[in-house]
Amino acid sequence: MKAFEYVSPSSAEVAVKALDGVDAAPLSGGTDLISRMKDLVTSPKRVVYLKDISAIAGVSGDAASGLTIGAETTLAALLSSKVVKESYPALWQAASEVGTPQIKNMATVGGNLCQRPRCWYYRAGFGLLPTKDGKNMVREGDNRYHAIFHTDGDALFVSPSSLAAPLIALGATATILGPKGERTIPVASLYQIPKKADDRELTIAANEIVTKVTVPAAKGKNASYEARQKAAHDWPLVMASVNLDLDGNTVKSASVIVYGVAPVPYRAEAAEKAITGKAVNAESAAAAGDAAVQGAKPLSDNGYKIPLTKSVVKRALLAAVGNRYWEEG
Amino acid sequence: MPTNWPENPKIIGTRVTRLDGMAKATGRAKYPSDSHPEGMLFGAMLYSPHAHARIKSLDFSAAEKLPGVKAVLPAGNIKAGSLVRFQGDDIAAVAAETEEQALDAIRAIKVEYEVLPHVATEEQARAEGAPEVFKGGGIVKNVRKGRSVTIGKPDDAFKGDDVVTIEASYSAPVITHVCLEPHGLTVRWTPEGKIEAWASTQAVGPTANELAGAFEIPITDVTVHTDVMGGGFGSKFGADIWGVTAAKLSKKAGGLPVRMFLDRAHEHMGGGNRPSAIAHVKLGATKEGKLIGMIAETSGTGGAGAGSAFPLPYVYAVPASSRTHSDIFVNGGNARAMRAPGHPQGCLVMEAAMDDLADKLGMDPLAFRLKNLKPTDMVEDGFSKPTVDRTPVYHDEVEIGAELIGWKNKWKPRGHVNGGSPIRHGLGMALHQWGGGGPPTNQVACTIFPDGAVEMKTATQDIGTGARTIFAIIAAEVLGLKVTDITSNIGNSTFPPGQPSGGSTTTPAMSPPALNAVTLARDELFTKLAPALAANPEDLSLADGQVLVKGVAKMAWKDACRKLGMQPISVVGKSSPGLASQHGGVAGCQFAEVTVDIETGVVRLKKIVAVQDTGLIIDKLTWETQVYGGVIGGLNYGLFEERIMDPTSGIMLNPDMELYKLAGASDIPEIVVHAYETPAMKARGVIGVGEPPTVSTAAAIGNAVANAIGVRVPHWPMSPKNVLDALASKEGKA
Repeated sequence: MKAFEYVSPSSAEVAVKALDGVDAAPLSGGTDLISRMKDLVTSPKRVVYLKDISAIAGVSGDAASGLTIGAETTLAALLSSKVVKESYPALWQAASEVGTPQIKNMATVGGNLCQRPRCWYYRAGFGLLPTKDGKNMVREGDNRYHAIFHTDGDALFVSPSSLAAPLIALGATATILGPKGERTIPVASLYQIPKKADDRELTIAANEIVTKVTVPAAKGKNASYEARQKAAHDWPLVMASVNLDLDGNTVKSASVIVYGVAPVPYRAEAAEKAITGKAVNAESAAAAGDAAVQGAKPLSDNGYKIPLTKSVVKRALLAAVGNRYWEEG
Repeated sequence: MPTNWPENPKIIGTRVTRLDGMAKATGRAKYPSDSHPEGMLFGAMLYSPHAHARIKSLDFSAAEKLPGVKAVLPAGNIKAGSLVRFQGDDIAAVAAETEEQALDAIRAIKVEYEVLPHVATEEQARAEGAPEVFKGGGIVKNVRKGRSVTIGKPDDAFKGDDVVTIEASYSAPVITHVCLEPHGLTVRWTPEGKIEAWASTQAVGPTANELAGAFEIPITDVTVHTDVMGGGFGSKFGADIWGVTAAKLSKKAGGLPVRMFLDRAHEHMGGGNRPSAIAHVKLGATKEGKLIGMIAETSGTGGAGAGSAFPLPYVYAVPASSRTHSDIFVNGGNARAMRAPGHPQGCLVMEAAMDDLADKLGMDPLAFRLKNLKPTDMVEDGFSKPTVDRTPVYHDEVEIGAELIGWKNKWKPRGHVNGGSPIRHGLGMALHQWGGGGPPTNQVACTIFPDGAVEMKTATQDIGTGARTIFAIIAAEVLGLKVTDITSNIGNSTFPPGQPSGGSTTTPAMSPPALNAVTLARDELFTKLAPALAANPEDLSLADGQVLVKGVAKMAWKDACRKLGMQPISVVGKSSPGLASQHGGVAGCQFAEVTVDIETGVVRLKKIVAVQDTGLIIDKLTWETQVYGGVIGGLNYGLFEERIMDPTSGIMLNPDMELYKLAGASDIPEIVVHAYETPAMKARGVIGVGEPPTVSTAAAIGNAVANAIGVRVPHWPMSPKNVLDALASKEGKA
């Protein structure tokens, strides 16, 4: 880690000013940034600590009117919210499976959304589009944890935020504060697929911060399902978050967002289409799971993500309607 | 001179809590990496970022000028022109006043590299047209092909109509030791020109020897302390290049203490590993299930210089076999001994093949195993003890283990389906063996002080064997005291010579001299006390803190010791035959119960049963916890661990504790430990337990997974990827 200047502002406006004009990085729980700084992947001249800004922390609202979640809300605080647990289980479940209790006590919603990819080539200092001798190192190398969608391009990492999937499925927006003021965008619009070596995968500028996330009123059913290797803390291999608008038992419209398969949170449109107009049952959910992998082109080591994605999407859909058949065995 | 253990012990063999357990659990125990002597400098190593390179030039001048920097030195004999052969190979070292300054200085060292072609994986090393990075010494195209070892006529054995054969490939990756406390030491030079070091080592004596040798000073001028240490598993037998370099830095910095411990990434890259194992196996049996032959082509990599041997055939009676093993060399860190070197690999290859053949024969794999044990399996003890036949021991242990896992009721043939659930249940088992005796070359000093204090002292260390507690149990048993009345001082190289902790030798090597020392001390006490008690020395005995004359309590222990006046009793005990096994030779078996989610490939452990014999057990509690530790290490090998190398850059992709996966608390299932300690086993004397219980866990888990899903997962670990890939290949979708 290189030496840096440390700023701990008490308002978001001051924080944004501190981030402007220098090579600065915002710090929340530190579970991502500190590792990157230790590994010299990121060496900011200034670190701006956001967690003392109480105005952008906390959960408010209710299921009927929607939620406002401050970006500096810790995952532990998010998980202790009754309304999140009862009305937004897709979000609660995804948050509950992040890290360890210690990490949940430190990590924040904003930090989770804005963490950098966990791709081991990126973390080894080769950048987001790692190339050597004109060849893509991910494609040539060990890509077991990498993307199966958008693999024609050079960005083969997977988007690292497991809260992005449920928030996008729930139709949430993110409010961003920068030197030019405030703007609100869909959470999905926080992410992009980098095309050039110096492109970021986040659409927000380095001198902007997410201040809050707004989740619309809860209607219908929502759920997340995550598959990971370890029972203890581990990154999801694949996770799906679904939000179903129901008419009786019939799906009027569906959002199906998959983590772990693409450089951005992946909207499985074919799965959404497959389940729309149907009652969610073992058969329709399996068909939607199968549809979810339409267009996938796995890399050399991650073909297993095809059957895994099918299963995970199927389970998220069934979980939304209370069918957790896999827990019976 | 005692030649046997007490016949009716009060403490030996009971469950005694470790004397230093509370200090370790609360953080009060100070590990070598916790030692911060006055004036200490922080050391840091510069290591190669490249898999293979020639150092064109090395310039320390900028680093030396940085604030706080006290010394900069090359590592070992590194100079311009030197080769580095793996990412993590040592280049230079710095000592500075703060850790940050040391790390800044490391980055300020200017190294020009000529990057050379590398081979980072076994596949890459063996590929057609691969760069020949490793040559000479019988190495051709990065491979040293071993001699074929043939017993009988294996080719003929497979002929005949009633032979049932399987032919299969299995593999397990390189894994690293992941010592929680990395390799390293803090070292200083005293004003008198002596070295004092606080080292995380499993061998204080050899570490002192290495330091004395490196500086050509007498061994009497070196003291190595290891009060406690945070894991070694076979990888910490000396000062290593890091310790020697730290001592050089200290010397250059006027003797100031230098702390040099590897960071986690360097620890993974350069701190040692267990070689990979790749096997192609043909195994055949008669239709009745009697093994007739095995042909095996195996290989593995131990990195840029070390071998990769493992035993095969393993445990069972294979009348005819041929086996050829090749060492593959790659630009990776070198293998070091790792908890039962070779055996976990040999076990998982053999036991996978045994299970696959049992399935093809339509036999219960438990019955198939018992049918193919050697008719007799005599183990020579090395002392005057009778030889032990291991075959009946295996029979007994398998019977006990089967009962504990519920084999009879729960085991169903491979791929059985219980209703429509994707969660499939499976049982698996595996047998193992190990040595575990101890050499008769060590000494323990026992001192009885006039105030009643008792000290046991020797230059061994506690790698996790509970050495302090073991000595206290033995002393308390002989002196009729409580375990907490005894002080065990270990982990100091200047104490009487003690055993390095490798090969499960510590307890068998150290218990006999401990018993000898305390017995001699007691006898001397009796001789001195007898006149005061108007008795003959042979009429005296000790129990419950009292001195007894002809069985009648006459004097409290402390009052008796006070009779010594100013002069403590101090004797040095040596080993004597009959108290411990010299060569060991233990059996053992493990059973695993798993669930496998066939839709996600996720494997969860439900239960592990470990049945183990290791002769006479001194502390049942410490013994059991060592078996737990072995099983937990083994289940990590079975489910999680893997060193992942990048073919393009030649670097390790997961040098951390995040994507290098290790079990967390919720990954640990119920573990049932059973000590097989019959009178015949006790008669063998003490045998170590550190290694055998880690050998067969991964094999048993692999077999349980195959049993659950109906298809062999040929590559360890049993990750969702490997499970789903195996299921896909079964469906022809590989």
